[in-house]
Amino acid sequence: MNSKGTHAIYLAIILGLAVLGLVADRFVLYMGMRVMLLAIFAMGYNLLLGRTGLLSFGHGALYATGAYGMALVNLHLTPDPLLGILAGVALATACSLIVGFFCVRHTEIYFAMLTLAFGMMIFSLIWNLRELTGGDDGLVGISRGSVLGLPIAKDGQFYFLVLFFFALTLWLIHRLRGSAFGLILAGIRENNQRTSFAGIPVKSYRLAAFVISGVFAGLAGSLGAMLESNTDPFSAHWSHSAEPILVSLIGGLQTFSGPLVGSVIFVVLREIIQRFTQNWMLWFGVILLAIIMGMRGGVMGGLEKRLKRGPAPAGKGEGS
Amino acid sequence: MSKKGLTRRQFVKAGLLTGTGAALGVGVLKPTGLWAAPAKIKGPVKVGYQAIMSGTLAGYGEFHKMGVVMAMEEINKAGGIAGVPLEVEFRDSTLKKPQAIQNARYFVDSWGADFLAGVDSSGQALALAPVMAQLGKPLMVTHAATEKLTEIEVYKKGIKEIFRICTPTYQDGNAAAFVAQGLPAKKWATISPKYEYGYTCWNMFKDTLGKLKPGVEFVAESWAPFGTTDFRPHINTILDAKPDGLYSVEWAGELITMIKQANQAGLFKKIKHIMLPVGAAMDVLEGLGAEMPDGVWISGRYFFMFPNDQRNIDWVARFRKRWNHYPAYVSETGYSAMYAYKQAVEAAGSKESNAVIGALEGMKMGSPAGERVFRKQDHQAMYEVPWGLTTTNPKYPFKVMGKQVIIPPSEFFNRPPFEGPNTHPPFKG
Amino acid sequence: MLQSIVHVCLAGLSQGMFIWLVASGLTLIFGVLGVLNFAHGAFYMLGAYFCYTVLASLGDNFWLGLIFGPLFVCAVGYFVERYFLRYVYHLDLPYQLLLTFAFVLIFDDLVKIVWGAGSIGSPTVPGLGGSVSILGRMFPTYSLFIIAVGPLVALGLWAALERTWAGRVIRAASSDREMAAALGAKVPLIFTGVFVFGTWLGALGGGLAVPYVGLLTPGMGEAVIIEAFVVAVIGGLGSLKGAFLGALIIGLLSSFGTRFLPTFDMFLTFILMALVLLWRPQGFFGEASR
Repeated sequence: MNSKGTHAIYLAIILGLAVLGLVADRFVLYMGMRVMLLAIFAMGYNLLLGRTGLLSFGHGALYATGAYGMALVNLHLTPDPLLGILAGVALATACSLIVGFFCVRHTEIYFAMLTLAFGMMIFSLIWNLRELTGGDDGLVGISRGSVLGLPIAKDGQFYFLVLFFFALTLWLIHRLRGSAFGLILAGIRENNQRTSFAGIPVKSYRLAAFVISGVFAGLAGSLGAMLESNTDPFSAHWSHSAEPILVSLIGGLQTFSGPLVGSVIFVVLREIIQRFTQNWMLWFGVILLAIIMGMRGGVMGGLEKRLKRGPAPAGKGEGS
Repeated sequence: MSKKGLTRRQFVKAGLLTGTGAALGVGVLKPTGLWAAPAKIKGPVKVGYQAIMSGTLAGYGEFHKMGVVMAMEEINKAGGIAGVPLEVEFRDSTLKKPQAIQNARYFVDSWGADFLAGVDSSGQALALAPVMAQLGKPLMVTHAATEKLTEIEVYKKGIKEIFRICTPTYQDGNAAAFVAQGLPAKKWATISPKYEYGYTCWNMFKDTLGKLKPGVEFVAESWAPFGTTDFRPHINTILDAKPDGLYSVEWAGELITMIKQANQAGLFKKIKHIMLPVGAAMDVLEGLGAEMPDGVWISGRYFFMFPNDQRNIDWVARFRKRWNHYPAYVSETGYSAMYAYKQAVEAAGSKESNAVIGALEGMKMGSPAGERVFRKQDHQAMYEVPWGLTTTNPKYPFKVMGKQVIIPPSEFFNRPPFEGPNTHPPFKG
Repeated sequence: MLQSIVHVCLAGLSQGMFIWLVASGLTLIFGVLGVLNFAHGAFYMLGAYFCYTVLASLGDNFWLGLIFGPLFVCAVGYFVERYFLRYVYHLDLPYQLLLTFAFVLIFDDLVKIVWGAGSIGSPTVPGLGGSVSILGRMFPTYSLFIIAVGPLVALGLWAALERTWAGRVIRAASSDREMAAALGAKVPLIFTGVFVFGTWLGALGGGLAVPYVGLLTPGMGEAVIIEAFVVAVIGGLGSLKGAFLGALIIGLLSSFGTRFLPTFDMFLTFILMALVLLWRPQGFFGEASR
């Protein structure tokens, strides 16, 4: 597919989402926002996982720092949503810098375990700093206010703020992937040593990828706090970090559109399963199993393979 | 049940359509169960019920369901609500807030629920309050106990959609203090959950007991994180402090584990006065069987032996016949929540939200747990739940309440406006 | 004070040995197969439930339950490895982790469907249900039993790996797959065998946990798996010796922390985990993990 065609498709998706925002009912709007938030989270995350090959179990915590940063500013300083989001993203960025600084020393399972440890430290802090975070009750009563004079209190209005950030994320990640920076990240995934022999400071690039993905996690978190008008301590738990991994895997690790498609499938599929049965974990697990066993490159990877009729860029061969 | 299966398939189909609509970005589908004219009661009364149905606490979801399904069967057999049938749909709330909110939105906006009920976690209940205000449908909370829900969200912020049919933390903290006042214990300690519920109850207990009985001391606190399986370090902490009273709002499986391990450590021989505000839960009593010591003070949100009147005795008998089980407290609150809605709809002559909310405010209702009154200002149901001493009774394969103490709710429920003098017990006049 | 310290120590030891029983299987599987098995907690849960079912149907005999219960879980482990896990060894880390994660979801719900959503109280163990007085305070006999079983399992594992032919083949296969295969070892068979054995260890931990925790609930493995992860990491992933020491440290740390540091929290254990990873990722004994 040529790049003009790709651009046309993404423009069509955003336009379609905008039209949806004007005509859809409240539940579809809400679910649409959930999909977009997860997509922001997962697209940023996949820059680290799919592009750089690093598996993090700490991004749930970064999502949560975004949410709590936003909520604290909203509740104590100003109801201005943009300042709140800025604060959330700033806090998430600071945290990802600190956490990333330590974690990028390792790769593979050691990196995964380090991020798990740091993520659970943040979870534990959120749970125990009750005066600040509300403990397990979380922070409640977050208001949405207005952006540049436009009210966003109603779901139909807030939807377009989410859509704006979603489109922004789409554009930024697309640009990043195509840039020299993005290609170096891919180089790091394919071969650590060769990239490092080429004179590229591998750790700095890994850290940059970690922080960028943390920024998008924070953005998703602060928007999520506004959507639900509260913060959830469980969003910092490692099990929440599994969500963007699942989404990336379902959609396809090595594709740009993978996390996007994966988010739609993840949210819609879970909702549908829950309408059939309270044993949703069972069915969700079975479907997950089928996806992992059946479609190694994810849905979009499989699709691409079909279109190109060439070998799919699935797993990277013999694992360590 | 087969009839229910049919309707379920129908709405699933509608749901699939809205779902795919979202995915494709072309869906212009309005919810199918929209009520155009809310004036008269048409079609079924639909209640969306959420409780925890997965993971270690999944047993509570089962107990909720037993009570609710039984209420639905009885109501529909007796002609429904104001002549139309009651329909209930269940969803797993998990413990995560976004899931609870998604469930509520699904119930109201997609399934077309008239009313919501359920909710176990306090954090979820607090998160749902503004959502219910936006959705404009009543939510009857049947388990979550945080007093903040009714004091702040309903009373202070004026979210009138929220009601609570179960006793709040007042039962666990304040009422316990009234019972403890009469005990000879001077030094109290606690092992409680390391989250808001634990902190709140212990503080309430300390505050009220301190006022009721100046001179009591609170000598040790040990906070057990969610998911604790080994209470021995906590038990050691308590034994070292040598209190003569132990207060613990551990609940469900963790309470079972704690009692068993405390038994092994000989704690009940050293500490004479034990108070377990949620010890009268059926899962705990049945899970412990003979291992629950005699002479322990227990309470809950309802206990099947109280009140000892015909209505309750009949209900327990029917419940046992239907489920082969004694009713847990969430079974009673779930059951009574359905009847509260029935009574309110019939009184209002409408299932429209404002009319029903108006009818519920100040409403008096009979229930297996006795007479309940929904306090107008904070939408909290006031009713009596006993505190009792465990005893062995050959009629039951588990410990039951022997001696019972009943404190009238008006004496220990915090009073509006909840801040300032004479809003917290003990009350003057 | 002495009484208190001794009891806190004993509680920490029993907690540590209990975590070790669970972490040993996790570590063994990681050491040989290179897979971090999220489903290990689910095997622990299944072990508890199968042991309970066997003992309940064989006249409340705890020991029969402990012998036969885990065997059922081994069958489940065989199924998971032979028909699923085997096909993702060559794929990236996330595929392996999420495959095992999917099994956690499936088994948690299956247990709920088969055994019921509510908790099941456990019977006491004949002869081990009581307590003994140590320095004037009661300590459960069963915990003493666990403190003894832990090192026995460690010793047995060590002997099996170091002193038997099968152990040598396993060690060869784990240090160099290709070489072992070239020398005629049936690597896939070894992997299946080790996975099933690791599953058995997890299930045994579950069976032993029943009287210790006092009840069974669906999802009971979730609380355990992260602790086992921490222990496996602190010990140096794949090192059994390290995991044994790690379990002791975590058990004692949490016992003493709970007693003497009122603000103690899992925060400290995760700091320890991060420090070890940063300072000595290969664990205490400096063994190259793979």
